[in-house]
Amino acid sequence: MILAEIDAGNVLAWVVWVVAALALLSSGLAVVLFANPFYSALALIANLASLAVLYLLLNAEFVAAAQVLVYAGAVVVMFLFVIAYLGGRADAPWAGGPTLQAVAAVVATGAIAVEVVVVIALKAGDRLSDTAALDDSFGSPAEIGTLFLSDHLLAFEVTSIVLLVAAIGGVILGSALPREHRAEGGRD
Amino acid sequence: MLGPGIAAYLVLSVVLFATGALGVLVRRSPLIVLLALEIMLNAGNLALIAFSRQLGDGDGQIFALTVMVVAAAEAVVGLGLIVAVSRKRVDLDVDRLTALRG
Amino acid sequence: MTAAAWTCLFAPAAAVLAIALAGNRLSRFGAGLVASGATGVSFVAAVVTFVLLLGKDAGERSQTSTLWTWLSAGDLRFGAEIAIDPLSVFMMLVVSGVGFLILSYAVGYMHGDEEERRYHAYKALFVFSMLLLVQAGNLLLLLAGWGLVGLSSYLLINFWHFRHTAVAAGKKAFVMNAVGDATFALALFLLIQEAGALDFRSTLGEGVLEEGSTVATLVALGLLGGAVAKSAQVPLHTWLPDAMEGPTPVSALIHAATMVTAGVYLIARTAPLFEAAPAVHDLAGILGAVTLLLAGLIALVQTDIKRVIAYSTMSQIGYMFVGVGLGAYGAGLFHLMTHAFFKALLFMAAGIVIHALAAEQDIRRMGGLARGLPLTYRAFLVGALALAAVPPFSGFFSKDAILASAANAGALGWALWAAGIVGAFLTALYTFRLLFVVFAGEPSPFVREHLHVARFEGGLAMAWPVGVLALLAAVGGLLQIPGVWHAVDDWLHPVVESIEEAGGVTAVVSGVLALAAALAGIALAWALYARPGERPALLRTRYRRTARSLERKLYFDEAYDAAFYEPSSRLPLALFRVVEDPLFLRSLGGLGSGVRDVSGRVAAAQTGLVRSYVLALAAGLAVLAVVFLLVS
Repeated sequence: MILAEIDAGNVLAWVVWVVAALALLSSGLAVVLFANPFYSALALIANLASLAVLYLLLNAEFVAAAQVLVYAGAVVVMFLFVIAYLGGRADAPWAGGPTLQAVAAVVATGAIAVEVVVVIALKAGDRLSDTAALDDSFGSPAEIGTLFLSDHLLAFEVTSIVLLVAAIGGVILGSALPREHRAEGGRD
Repeated sequence: MLGPGIAAYLVLSVVLFATGALGVLVRRSPLIVLLALEIMLNAGNLALIAFSRQLGDGDGQIFALTVMVVAAAEAVVGLGLIVAVSRKRVDLDVDRLTALRG
Repeated sequence: MTAAAWTCLFAPAAAVLAIALAGNRLSRFGAGLVASGATGVSFVAAVVTFVLLLGKDAGERSQTSTLWTWLSAGDLRFGAEIAIDPLSVFMMLVVSGVGFLILSYAVGYMHGDEEERRYHAYKALFVFSMLLLVQAGNLLLLLAGWGLVGLSSYLLINFWHFRHTAVAAGKKAFVMNAVGDATFALALFLLIQEAGALDFRSTLGEGVLEEGSTVATLVALGLLGGAVAKSAQVPLHTWLPDAMEGPTPVSALIHAATMVTAGVYLIARTAPLFEAAPAVHDLAGILGAVTLLLAGLIALVQTDIKRVIAYSTMSQIGYMFVGVGLGAYGAGLFHLMTHAFFKALLFMAAGIVIHALAAEQDIRRMGGLARGLPLTYRAFLVGALALAAVPPFSGFFSKDAILASAANAGALGWALWAAGIVGAFLTALYTFRLLFVVFAGEPSPFVREHLHVARFEGGLAMAWPVGVLALLAAVGGLLQIPGVWHAVDDWLHPVVESIEEAGGVTAVVSGVLALAAALAGIALAWALYARPGERPALLRTRYRRTARSLERKLYFDEAYDAAFYEPSSRLPLALFRVVEDPLFLRSLGGLGSGVRDVSGRVAAAQTGLVRSYVLALAAGLAVLAVVFLLVS
């Protein structure tokens, strides 16, 4: 029955999904496991890119574009700058054998993952099978923009304030020198 | 809808979330903790987008975009803190930053 | 007339305010002048009121003047009202007149004291309070004055606050008076319940309280409690001798002439309430008789010149209580007036002696002062003769009036009469013992060394009031002569109706016997004390036990100490040891250290490690997910 429904476009979509999903999980693990933060940051770019592919599969074109531009283009670059600024001090090799804390962490996160998967499989599977039909404009910049400036105007404005505050905070944190430096004639 | 159903995306999302959480929990470098946090946020975003597609409602995408903004803001502040801490000539190790010990 | 009466009341209050507000801008002497001048104004106003009342018919002499509503609670209204009637005017004249003389004397007596202004302000405050007490138009205002005189008495007794004994005496007086104030207030509560008001017209009318009923007895007992405490009668008398720690003019004004006689005034004022409770009324007379005998006995052995006079005051107020207790209000108030004259005179003369001897008050170091202080000696002699009731001095007539009334009051009257006769003998004995020991014979070595006589023996300021009082003490008794005329009784008649005195032979016999007792007392005193000799010492060794218990004032202080002070100081100590310390103090300490222990251990969980906090979050989330799984 499943085979009957397979057509060429669908097969292509499956192939893209599988590749993107594998890239997503492996790059996510790479971010977590690399000892060198520089490699972690690079792996995060791959992670974000594969996410953008999945977004495209979900008809969210604008979000996918924003994902690549904002995350891969801005946030990760910022990470890279900081890593470069810190130089070797940023390296954080693994401490060694699994401590109690690490074991507990693995158990807890594994439990969360398994539980949610079980919930999806057992309880919600049926309800998730039928998806809504879409018109062409779904996920387009035009529709997102309309939504932002109509139903979600407040969230939009608050977002701008959050960004402003973060920018100011970043400037203050980045420019404030420790007191002993100031006493030696550093910047005010 | 082409490709696998929403459930597959959700499973992917939760596994990614668990990966990110693992990173936050086991790594001691604040930089990598921040990167892992980004992964967790993106796992959430993936679930939001998937539900948005499922329901045919653009609100989920709005939510995801807002989360992105918050993530960017969080990254700015987090990185600023890391730079400030490193200026204090303190080791970049979250286990050494214990000034809040009770 | 009402204006005059209000002026009389408020002049001293104005003086208090003026002295208090002027501060250093007013000289010490000026403060004294303001206080005594204001009291003089009061006296003039009282005289004006008296003359105006005199012009009216006897039936129309009682009226009330209200300025404003002082207090109102529900249906109860108490006005700031004064009663203008023969009784209050009589008391106004005594209080402001004697008060004026004593305040003038005090200007000289207190000269040079560092806190003279405060003294004069207190003194004027006292005069205001006393006038409020006697002029009050309802019992609540009377109680206010009652409390205020207690307050000013307290302030003046420990005026020399650097003396521990003075402070203790002030506290004692205040506490003893508070006992009386409390019973007084309780009586007023009962009266409000019964009569619904406290003004004189509605509480003192006919049949407000059923005669002999429990309520009537309780009300009268409460009032008697107040009167006994304020007038230093047995058993609430122990504060008065200690109150002699205050400056001598205070003793003269408050603890002899005016405040301590307030009890007599109260009984006369509320006579209908006492007549509704005959048992309590009799009790007042009996307490008076007991007091006059006890105080007379104790006065025989005291060695402090002021304390002798203080016990004499208690004894004489005992006479007044006998009078008002038997219903002879006119006689009681008459004795109040003459007593105010001669007792103030004695105190002021004693004050001159104390001044002249560098503040020495022990009569055993005095002697032969008649030579150095002849004017004072004569004044003291007049006072002593009046006190000992030798005609024609004032004390004779007033005491005789009380005794003559007692002789006409049935069996109880005769018993009290007998006590009065014995008391007359004791009075003469202790009075002339004092006179002979202090003034007779050759000057003692102490006197020769320390006697310092000012012009007019104490300065003009102190001398002239003594002279005026000596005159009054000498002739004041002629106002009322038993069996001949009754000016005081007649004047008071519209307010209180006194019982008939004994007439004819009984009166004459009573008077002659009282005089004989007094003369016998004087003679005995002359025999024992006129010349220094061994006889008093011999008597003392023969009756050692009696003498000692009298010297210890019959152990009243010790008894009160054992009955009230000791238990109430030991009980809290015991409670502290048995209850408070183990139950509260230690348990609180344990609670505190327990909390500190536990929180110290809990604080160890706050490692400061962000990762462990996040792990706790993740673990919690995992558990929560399981819960959702099971529930959904």
